[in-house]
Amino acid sequence: MNPSSLAPLPEAAPPVDDSGTAVLEVRGARRQLGRHPAIAGVDLAVARGEIYALLGANGAGKTSLLRAISGRLALDAGSIRVAGRDPRRDREARRALGVVPQQLALYPQLSARQNLSVFGRLAGVARRGLTAKVERALDRVGLAARGDDRVAALSGGMQRRLNIVAGTLHEPLALVLDEPTVGVDLHARQRIHDLLRDLRGDGIGILLATHDLEQANVLADRVGILARGRVCAEGAPRELIEDAFGDAQELTVTLGEAADASGRRLLAHEGLAPLSDGMTWERRLERGMGQAAALGARLAEAGLTVASMRVRAPTLASVVLRWTGEELEP
Amino acid sequence: MNIAVFQVMLLGLVRDRGALAMGFLIPAAFFIVFATVFAAASGVDMRVQLAIADEAHSATSATLVATLRGLDVIDASGDRELTAEQVRARVRRGSADVGLIIRDAAGVGSKAEGESLVIVGDPVRGVAMSLLAGQLQRMHAPSDSEDASAGSGGPAAVEHEYVAGVSADLNHVAYYAGAVAVLFLLFSAVHGAVTLLEEEEAGILDRVLAGPAGAATLVNGKFLFLVAQGVVQVAVIFVVAWLLYGIDLPGHVVPWSLATLAASAAAAGLALALVTACTTRRQAQTLANVAILILSAIGGSMVPRFLMPPLLQDLGALTPNAWALEAYSAIFWRDEPVASLGLPIGILLGAGMLGLALAQRFARRLQTL
Repeated sequence: MNPSSLAPLPEAAPPVDDSGTAVLEVRGARRQLGRHPAIAGVDLAVARGEIYALLGANGAGKTSLLRAISGRLALDAGSIRVAGRDPRRDREARRALGVVPQQLALYPQLSARQNLSVFGRLAGVARRGLTAKVERALDRVGLAARGDDRVAALSGGMQRRLNIVAGTLHEPLALVLDEPTVGVDLHARQRIHDLLRDLRGDGIGILLATHDLEQANVLADRVGILARGRVCAEGAPRELIEDAFGDAQELTVTLGEAADASGRRLLAHEGLAPLSDGMTWERRLERGMGQAAALGARLAEAGLTVASMRVRAPTLASVVLRWTGEELEP
Repeated sequence: MNIAVFQVMLLGLVRDRGALAMGFLIPAAFFIVFATVFAAASGVDMRVQLAIADEAHSATSATLVATLRGLDVIDASGDRELTAEQVRARVRRGSADVGLIIRDAAGVGSKAEGESLVIVGDPVRGVAMSLLAGQLQRMHAPSDSEDASAGSGGPAAVEHEYVAGVSADLNHVAYYAGAVAVLFLLFSAVHGAVTLLEEEEAGILDRVLAGPAGAATLVNGKFLFLVAQGVVQVAVIFVVAWLLYGIDLPGHVVPWSLATLAASAAAAGLALALVTACTTRRQAQTLANVAILILSAIGGSMVPRFLMPPLLQDLGALTPNAWALEAYSAIFWRDEPVASLGLPIGILLGAGMLGLALAQRFARRLQTL
């Protein structure tokens, strides 16, 4: 589908946080991969003690951006600063950054305790004091009693928590996480949310790339919506919803049969924009159910088969959909 | 349905260049290398390096030398005027596979008429001694053509003299202990080095390379481990050879340690260079298996190099196997002092350092794309 049919993207990206408390800043970041602009001018800033959720569909550029921040993807233009320094050139900047990849980046044949010890050393934690940090980390994720178990013997949720805490042993200022709850059950997901709130409480600035809108809604102080390699909307979840919909509701029309050209023209004339499947159309609804009923009648009169009409309060998902034209996969 | 499965397999093969190469090109290349090596080992194309000392200086001895120089299976094209000691030294060093000292029989008190012949050999190259002995016997055998016999004065007395080792069996054990050790040293080093690509696939590199430890730290750490692992691995093989077969490991601990450290460094460096040059684990393992088998075949880990055609012997000098075996030969067969191990150990260490430097360079690709 054509995302521009929903709403025009702003010409200028949202301003970065200039408060001076940003522990992670990305400015004008661009990177072309082949003919595809994987990162097309990203600006964002994560403040100390803030969770910033980066939302975007597959291919939106989340992983490329995270790889650029972690120094594994060079930028064609723009800059990345961790604690005000360039992590590609400055060892201290890299010490201030923690990375939690989407995969379980752990050694399965080692115990939980051994993994933390290894990653602590590789992150530059001095030998003296490392043991205490490892024990604190195990305690924090509820694995003190399982510290000597091999990672392969831990449950999926435990492995995920260990994966996160392994990126924090060196007490970074900024922590970058890629889909930290993928593949875990609700209980494990909740424990990971608690852990991330704990880390935020320690003053760590967290950049969280996720598909999980509910996670972004309950965890994030701010959300950035990434589409076609750039951040097209940014703000607190509630602010984003209010900015996009105000007091309006959201109307979703599902067709029983695909509309022909004249039908599509009518739908567009009625202010509806198609989703990727071409059968579902959406618009803001300012005047409630009466407006929806009148619109439904006009569509039926024009010969369009309407399978269902749904009116609901807008959510973060509605905002993402509005900006990107795509629904995020769960 | 069978056809559908067949079609999937066919398309999968055709579109996988690695599988195509592994399935059709590499086996043929392997066949050529191994056929060349083992055909030579069967004696068909064998050509042994012969060092000759003619102390008799008679017409008969001159004829014998000329006849030997004319034989296809013998390469006696080296220095013409050698002393008996020089011949022994060459065989001991391995620069000649076998030596022949021609003495005046009367001068050495032999009952035989004419010349007395001494075949000088290394027990581990017994094939070369046998081949020379056979050629000498054939020259002195009765023939319809008198011209065909070089020893017209009657059969010469032939003695055998060994210049290295206490027994052929023991030297074979020492040789194959080294040969097997180097072969598995390479396999283990590659197996260990491949963990770098496993760590990349698992996302561990994303975590580690974002921190202060760069790719060079990972490569260096793995190099140190692989060297240590290699030393232990080779030690196990030689301890078994000592305990079960009696090779004199305790008497050569210092030179053996130096040679083993150098061989392990070479294996670790080369394995890391090969693995970091590859982008996937499968690619690295396929390439490594092929490379190790070829290096081992032409480097003497499967068949002694002197049994190979000259071209393969020359190519073998480019392999770590050949230099490791040269070092172990010098230690256990020729009982040479540590100072004489400088060349093989230097070459092995150089190969290891070169491999490490290449691995560090290739690993920058892992650091930043």
